[in-house]
Amino acid sequence: MKISKKVLGALVVGLAVQASSSSCDKVQTKPEKAKKVGTENPANQQPDTAYNCPACGMG
Amino acid sequence: MSRTILPTIACNLDADILSASLPLLEEGVVDALEWSFDALFRQDHVIPEWFHDLLTAYSNEGRLIGHGVFFSLFSGRLLPEQAAWLQRLKQLSRQYRFDHITEHFGFMTGSDFHKGAPMSVPYTSGTVAIGRDRLQRIQDAAQCPVGLENLAFAYSLDEVKRQGAFLEQLIEPVNGFIILDLHNVYCQLHNFNIPFEVLIQAYPLDRVREIHISGGSWETAVTDQSRSIRRDTHDGRVPESVFELLEHTLPLCPQVKYVVMEQLGTGLQTEAAKISFRKDFQQMQKITEQFLEHHSRMDAVPNNFLPEYSLPPGQVIEDEYLYGEQQILSYILEHAAGHAEAMEQLQHTALRNSVWGIEKWQPDMLETAIRIAQKWK
Repeated sequence: MKISKKVLGALVVGLAVQASSSSCDKVQTKPEKAKKVGTENPANQQPDTAYNCPACGMG
Repeated sequence: MSRTILPTIACNLDADILSASLPLLEEGVVDALEWSFDALFRQDHVIPEWFHDLLTAYSNEGRLIGHGVFFSLFSGRLLPEQAAWLQRLKQLSRQYRFDHITEHFGFMTGSDFHKGAPMSVPYTSGTVAIGRDRLQRIQDAAQCPVGLENLAFAYSLDEVKRQGAFLEQLIEPVNGFIILDLHNVYCQLHNFNIPFEVLIQAYPLDRVREIHISGGSWETAVTDQSRSIRRDTHDGRVPESVFELLEHTLPLCPQVKYVVMEQLGTGLQTEAAKISFRKDFQQMQKITEQFLEHHSRMDAVPNNFLPEYSLPPGQVIEDEYLYGEQQILSYILEHAAGHAEAMEQLQHTALRNSVWGIEKWQPDMLETAIRIAQKWK
């Protein structure tokens, strides 16, 4: 499925912002504009990727 | 009617997974996205705008699927955290159009709702009732098809053989479907030395809407150093044997719509690992395309995997006795030094001579359960 250049560009920038962050390293990254689920109000919080890891492989 | 099978990536808000996937996304070959929507609790459920835009792109095309991790379907008690999980799912389902929602089979060890690992439960009419009740609640919250994934882990061969039929009973009232995780099947084939032809027929293949492939790891068996145990750790490349399983399984699953590649970000931290991830995706895509070249027509009547009548869930079904047993088992698995100590402790609990069938549990698999529970506690 083709993804628009705008979405891909934003993804590249988003990843660049947290370039120093990697999965499970428990490193907090810098805040950036974020979207709160279910609301239109952006919040200044940045994901801590530490707990995204067990999302599928719990073996 | 022509068939469509969508090569999909399991994708969380994880820099390593996303950066490994980026070239594939740019190429336009990722036809769908599977999102573990409940892994955002550490971020207070905040989604960065750029990730929201990616989810929305797939959602708008009806190609976003949700994969829950922490609901703990078989917890004997419906916990407040599960009610909150359902509420969040309801909210997310208004924001994104999920083509379907799935969860894992089992109950989660761990006192914290967001920790632990899924472990199996006894196959009884009581657990069927709890599982059906929870699936109905998920279906009610999401208002889309719901499904369950087969579990890699099992304590005994008997459990492995019966899992498919048990899954079928669970999904029947909601006209649900199965995620057939082929790496989980691979684990069972190896750990229980059972032929593929026998095991695969134990699953309701006409109910498979999604297939997972992934990698894992080997561990030496404690009772026999010459033997190894396969674990579904998702931290390595997809073994060639799993690709072969995919080739053999696709023709057996007339309703399959998504073939999903899963890998944890922890296994994608080097450029070499990212390249290997993309090669694995491309191989999965190629197998899918080759299958469709020869099976372009859908011969089976398409199943929309929605219930004929959607009724709001009734009174909560709970089993305090089962909940207590789960607490005991979780504690032992999370604290025992090894399988012998765990079994000794279990002998002094209500699980002895019970429907849990601990007397049939294989020592190496109990040891594996301990390692899994202690890894994720």
